[in-house]
Amino acid sequence: MKRWMLPLTALAIALLLPLLLDPRGYWIRVLAFTFLFAAMAQAWNIVGGLANQTSLGHAAFFGIGAYTSTVLLLKFGISPWIGMIAAAGLGGVAAFAIAIPTMRLQGHYFALATLAFGEVLRVVANVWTSVTGGASGISVPFSSPSLLTYSFKLLRPHAYVALAALVIVTVIFEIVRRSAMGYRLRAIKENPAAAEVIGIDTAKVKLQAAIVSGMLMAMLGTLYAQVAVFFDPDTVFSAASISIRVALIAILGGIGTPVGPILGAFFIIPLEELMNDWFSASAAGLSQLTFGLILIAVILWRPRGFVTLFKSLSSRFGGASA
Amino acid sequence: MTVLDVRGVSKRFGGLQALSDVTFSVGEGQIVGLIGPNGAGKTTFFSTLVGLIRPDRGSIALDGRSIVGAKPHRVAAYGMTKTFQNVALFGDCTVLDNVLTAGLLRHDVQAARDEACRSLDRVGLLAIADKQADTLSFPERARVELARALCTGPKVLLLDEVMAALNPVEMREIMTLIRSLRDDGITLLVVEHHMRAIMAICDRILVLNFGKLLADGTPKEIAGHPEVIEAYLGQSMEKHR
Repeated sequence: MKRWMLPLTALAIALLLPLLLDPRGYWIRVLAFTFLFAAMAQAWNIVGGLANQTSLGHAAFFGIGAYTSTVLLLKFGISPWIGMIAAAGLGGVAAFAIAIPTMRLQGHYFALATLAFGEVLRVVANVWTSVTGGASGISVPFSSPSLLTYSFKLLRPHAYVALAALVIVTVIFEIVRRSAMGYRLRAIKENPAAAEVIGIDTAKVKLQAAIVSGMLMAMLGTLYAQVAVFFDPDTVFSAASISIRVALIAILGGIGTPVGPILGAFFIIPLEELMNDWFSASAAGLSQLTFGLILIAVILWRPRGFVTLFKSLSSRFGGASA
Repeated sequence: MTVLDVRGVSKRFGGLQALSDVTFSVGEGQIVGLIGPNGAGKTTFFSTLVGLIRPDRGSIALDGRSIVGAKPHRVAAYGMTKTFQNVALFGDCTVLDNVLTAGLLRHDVQAARDEACRSLDRVGLLAIADKQADTLSFPERARVELARALCTGPKVLLLDEVMAALNPVEMREIMTLIRSLRDDGITLLVVEHHMRAIMAICDRILVLNFGKLLADGTPKEIAGHPEVIEAYLGQSMEKHR
């Protein structure tokens, strides 16, 4: 089997999926968000996976992206596509700002510092009502539906835009992974002192990775704003439902690999929806409890992510061909 | 020509004077041994030379350029790197990727791969290039360390016990390799506990004891140095037989 067969098959299925689901239904929305969260986890994967710096603050860049394009559209009528580029710029600046003080931190300390950064921005967005509209939220103004205005009546085109974003971010991740930067990030992950001694400017490489990751995350924030149409600071800057969820998706799927975040997203996002669907009527807390129990079971079963499932399957069945 | 010039280097950790007033210089293409009892400051000294530890006092010049305060990656770019005594490979990566990453200092990915293959060939590990680093035996890992350091294209190479746990055949191979690196114009500083090996390959030997330079001379002079025998050889030869 050729190496490109699997990704190509997966892409073909992904292209077909939106056509099979009811365009006015609930599951096409779940699918669009699954693509979007897979792309977000993939952007996180550049820092969290390759350099193993577990950021719990990626909601910061996401929220910046959502607000940048929406405010530009609302106040100046600027197209969300251009807003997305502005979002990338601001996301990159924010990533630079947070990377400078946290660069020397490792493990739990890095995670906590980034978590705090995301929370600070959430509070700021809640208070800065003149720009963000504060806690009451912000509505994305309706434009005549077209690809150019990035406004659609139905969710199907949104699903395709999110899929395109996933493909692009995955390609960028793969380019980074195979480049000199990818090798350097893995070296930093494995042994920062040894990486320095063999000539890697660890501070610079971490900074570059953080900026790329932050820019992509902010652009995905713009996508979210256009799909959600309405949002508030507690949603887009959320530690639990953005930062931690994105990290969880990548970790559960398998960090440092291009496939991991995609597998993770296709497991977690639909599962969450199913749990809500089944239990919310009977007992609200039960869905989270069951969701949590399933996560624990899965992590115990595959501590290094779903990707390892592929490896053990291919060594069992494809040993001769591999 | 002097390639490495160290003057009055001192370093204190709390109550421990790890290095005190170390001064010496090394000419291009020499093999210099650095010996001393455990805890004498050999590894601290190597770490100070490459910039992992900043000395409290003193100057270090590589090729006439002061490198005190320079970060390790700058020192590596200027041409000096070291191996790690307790082996610090990128365990989750393949042997080839470990060495290739070092080659990126002076090459793009494609050229670094070729360079890495050459380095691995020199240490005799090309056959296991695709193995994951943390599945190797200790002697193999030490040789990957050597190949990785070599792949940065150094002028001065600091080897911290690369011969530990090698059998006599492997040791002879490494000794031949060290000599051939010298013939390529690389200057080598070698920390090693195996006295016979160090006496055989070094042009000159430095003895470190309690962070102080105790003696500096040819292998013959060192072997007959009364203070060295007292401080180190008598006791250590027993221990490392």
